Amino acid sequence: MSRSTLATKLTLIISLLLLLATWQVGAILLDAQVILPTVGKTVEAFVQLLKFKPLSVNILTTVSRSLKSFLIILISGTILGILAGYFKLIDAFLKPFLVICKATPVMAIILLAFIWFSSGTVPLFSAFLMGFPIMFVQMERGVDQISKELKEMSQLFAFSKKDRLFYVIIPSLLPSIITGSKASLSMVWKVVIAAEVLTVPKYGVGSRMQLAQVNLETAQVLAWTIIAILLTAIGDLVFSLLLKALERVVK
Amino acid sequence: MIINDVSKSYLVNSEPLEVLKDFSLTIEPNTICALVGPSGCGKTTLLRLVGELEACDKGSIVKSESELGPVSYLFQEPRLLPWFSVLTNVEVVLRPFYENKAERVDIAMKFIKMVGLGDYAKFKPDMLSGGMRQRVAIARSFAYPSSIMLLDEPFQSLDASLRWSLVKSFLHLWEAEKRTTLYVTHDVQEALLMADLVIKLSKRPMEIINKHYITTPKATRSLADPKLISLQASFYN
Repeated sequence: MSRSTLATKLTLIISLLLLLATWQVGAILLDAQVILPTVGKTVEAFVQLLKFKPLSVNILTTVSRSLKSFLIILISGTILGILAGYFKLIDAFLKPFLVICKATPVMAIILLAFIWFSSGTVPLFSAFLMGFPIMFVQMERGVDQISKELKEMSQLFAFSKKDRLFYVIIPSLLPSIITGSKASLSMVWKVVIAAEVLTVPKYGVGSRMQLAQVNLETAQVLAWTIIAILLTAIGDLVFSLLLKALERVVK
Repeated sequence: MIINDVSKSYLVNSEPLEVLKDFSLTIEPNTICALVGPSGCGKTTLLRLVGELEACDKGSIVKSESELGPVSYLFQEPRLLPWFSVLTNVEVVLRPFYENKAERVDIAMKFIKMVGLGDYAKFKPDMLSGGMRQRVAIARSFAYPSSIMLLDEPFQSLDASLRWSLVKSFLHLWEAEKRTTLYVTHDVQEALLMADLVIKLSKRPMEIINKHYITTPKATRSLADPKLISLQASFYN
């Protein structure tokens, strides 16, 4: 391990320990488990959660909602973003929808969706509305940023349409697909859980958080929060591994 | 190739800008013709017209039978696909002409080796120096089965020693596979070392000021040659 890598890792560990120490000191000073439980109590609640039988059902339901929503965003955002990048009329047509999506507060979308749909569909729908503009804008920008020189080169060397797509357009758009996917996926996790908190469907990490909060089980709320953070981190990790695998295939 | 009374103008701020006016030139097949002139005089426009990227407003460009077919380009920048290896960058331009991949790879490798990059075939462009990237571009333009080559100041952005080494690489390939070449440059020395015909051009609308045929074989040309020194002087006068 190089010196700089070791220093970075040490700094990370120190930062994490400092954060935990601040939390622990704050909890001791407040001396109120309902407001801020100690680190120990939270870990205890977390271990209890792991023993909790429908834990996997709750997690899997949230993961399934998030992935479904992400998949819809990935496909629709990519296709419509590329089309809008090439055809200004499509861009103009979708602009009002995007402006509304971007400007409307998440909570307002969730509340409205709750009026229109069942509690299980609300997280999916809300996450789509919040994540779609991110993917769309990234793809539209990606189309704008395709090198004019490379486009001209492919034209001069008489690339076929298929070769232009696979050798110039798709590789040029890959960074936008990656950035858009990463940003929309992290947005999807947050919105899905927020929507579950507000609408309390039968299963879901957010529903459990809300129930724990109603029962003033703050340690349990924090334990569910840790699970939510872990889900996002695992999502990012799986995403990075997929990208690396994709890079190997492209090579 | 006979460029006959060609005119071309563009609309700039709703005003017509005449770049070429009744421009005529004859280039012998399989020779290198260098166009030396000030920036913005219309050299690149002429290349685009010859490459049929744009149409002439007036006049015609008549190519001989051996000059019909695809045209290959060498740009100021290498314009390589950054995601793909050196080999793929050269091989990809052969796809419309050879169905068999092994055949394409063989041809691409032949030219990559000829520009001295045989050991770098698997490297991606960002792992190469600027000069090496331009060598890949040279290999690509020669690998492309064209009958005409259009060069738009391809060595301009490189330092002097690298430029001469690339000029040598280019000439080495060109001698092996001669093609009618139209070569735009600002560099008189480069033009004198490479071309069979060097043309000095005026400001826009582009006109021929003078033409110089150089008969000395390219391999034996030297800038110390008194004939070339006097020719060089005539360009600066």
